[in-house]
Amino acid sequence: MAELEIRNLSRVFGATRAVNDVSISVAHGELLCLLGPSGSGKSTVLRMLGGFERPDSGSILIDGKDVTNLPPERRPTGMVFQSHALWSHMDVFSNVAFGLKLRRLPRQDIRQRTEAALDMVGLAGFGPRRPTKLSGGQQQRVALARSLVLEPKILLLDEPFASLDQHLRERMREEVREIQQRAGITMVFVTHGQDEALALADRIAVMRDGRLEQVDKPDAVYRRPRTAFVAGFIGQMNLIDGEVRAGSLNAAGVTVAVALADGPATLAMRPEDIGLQRASGADAATVHRVIDFGTHLSVELQASGGTRLKATAQPGSGWTAGMQAHLHPRKFAVYRDGTLCGLPLAPGRADLPLSLQSLVTDQAPASRDHLASNHS
Amino acid sequence: MSTVEAATAAVKRRHVDGRGLIGLLLVAAPVTLIGALILWPVSVSVFDTLTVRGPDGRHFSLESYRFFFSDGFSLRNLWLTIQVAAICTVLLLVISLPIALYLRFSETRLAGYIQALALFPLFVPSILLAYALIRTLGPNGTVDILLTAVGLPKIPSPYLTPWGPIIGLVWDNLPLTLLIILAGLSNVSRASIDAARDVGAGSFAVLWYIVLPRIRGTLLVAASFIILGLFSAFTLPYLLGPAVPEMMGPFMRRTIIEVDDPLQARTQAVVTFMICALFAMFYVRSVARTRREQSS
Repeated sequence: MAELEIRNLSRVFGATRAVNDVSISVAHGELLCLLGPSGSGKSTVLRMLGGFERPDSGSILIDGKDVTNLPPERRPTGMVFQSHALWSHMDVFSNVAFGLKLRRLPRQDIRQRTEAALDMVGLAGFGPRRPTKLSGGQQQRVALARSLVLEPKILLLDEPFASLDQHLRERMREEVREIQQRAGITMVFVTHGQDEALALADRIAVMRDGRLEQVDKPDAVYRRPRTAFVAGFIGQMNLIDGEVRAGSLNAAGVTVAVALADGPATLAMRPEDIGLQRASGADAATVHRVIDFGTHLSVELQASGGTRLKATAQPGSGWTAGMQAHLHPRKFAVYRDGTLCGLPLAPGRADLPLSLQSLVTDQAPASRDHLASNHS
Repeated sequence: MSTVEAATAAVKRRHVDGRGLIGLLLVAAPVTLIGALILWPVSVSVFDTLTVRGPDGRHFSLESYRFFFSDGFSLRNLWLTIQVAAICTVLLLVISLPIALYLRFSETRLAGYIQALALFPLFVPSILLAYALIRTLGPNGTVDILLTAVGLPKIPSPYLTPWGPIIGLVWDNLPLTLLIILAGLSNVSRASIDAARDVGAGSFAVLWYIVLPRIRGTLLVAASFIILGLFSAFTLPYLLGPAVPEMMGPFMRRTIIEVDDPLQARTQAVVTFMICALFAMFYVRSVARTRREQSS
């Protein structure tokens, strides 16, 4: 276990600032996910942690010791690569034992530790096989064992499940989580899959254009996104541009009360937080398409002004294309200039139908407090 | 089978037959050329060297080979060719490997210039190269002039020594060797190097345990190509090398033109061919093994 501290890390490639003033602390035994779209700089941060890229400025400390300028072979880190990066000219045992052999450990010790590492990742008895004879998931586990066998203080994983199918990916992330908890190892995990981040991480650091947008626990990142980018990137979110006038934000026919000065603002509502009520008239939204996912219906609507948005409804609720509906946000957030700045008023609003008022009480007090703290 | 099915089957058969005929026609030209320009002359040469014409017609004889392998001059020439080929092969691999590694893994703009410089000899005819080397390294060449200008003694010129063709052949074969090794290195991913460094391998360990085993086949292919090329080299050994002993290329030319002994020239050619065939076998085996490894 080890504590990792990243201070003001920056990296420039030509005219592109790949990583821009990133600072994060990772606690002992914590699993931090670096999440962001392609080109957001998350892999560059990880490569700098592993020593494969030299930062232009900033520092990296592991257990208080500055490792910024140490080469990879002298860092107490282990890295699992996206492409597995197994050495196909060696068998599985040799792949895992290679680092131990370089350390000139006794042969018996190498054998014991290699077999224990293979056992830990569920590949006992796979030693004599060639990596090319293994499935994608097995290859990924060999790569994991190769890093774990050296007992690194910090394990770095660069989109390790990107090449696996959905089913295998889900199984592998459970296994990685289990191994991480069993070994009590500090992990930094890079992914662009929000599901993976939400399922695995103790904390998620969302990156965009080389900068950190938000570092928080998964539920906080999902429920209280601090920027419109995080709101749009994590889960499904309807982001609708509107205008605040006299304490009311009107966006695509949806009106909510906000404590904001007049001006443009963005209304953010998750599909599951939109209540639908059958209606008719020019101000009603039109159901464009309905997809039945079994557990819920995904209802795509076209609001007044042509804005497209999504809502969810109970299966069997009878929504079909061509029907009209009024939208009632149960929860929402308001962003101005990409930053969170507004929150819904207290539940029990008079402008909502009685059938929907009870739903507004779903808004968690903690969430409101958090939003309020960001309001300033 | 219905009439329609029978007709369809007949049309399909005609299609297949037609495709087969086109395929045969396509390979006919190169096969004919190989047969006429390589296999037939080689067969005739081998046959000629294994037979002698007597009063009662041709009969089997190893006399020409007995002469070749008992003639000190021929053996010295063969030995020189083997030595030059071995030294050139080692030098080419030793020079090309670091350049190829740099070009493969460097991301700087300088790599582009170095690659252009390393491939430059590919576009220079051997005869120009030979005269350039004579003007540079020959007696009273550029190097001598520069050394004299700064008050240093002249160096012994490699011109007309075995080192003359070695320098020329290394320069001439550098691009091909570099391209072959670069192609092999393209199979070594940066991630596999990073993974080795991540588990503690330094530069030498990465080269020894990761890179070299992965390009072993490529190095063998490069070595085979170099040796095949060097045994058949003529211009550079002829213009830069010593008169005695001389490499097999100029030796064969002199035997047939100046000594007017076509049988011995053919014997020299067959011996050279057999040595090259040995290395060609290495090449074929290496390619076959690489394919086997890739398919496994």
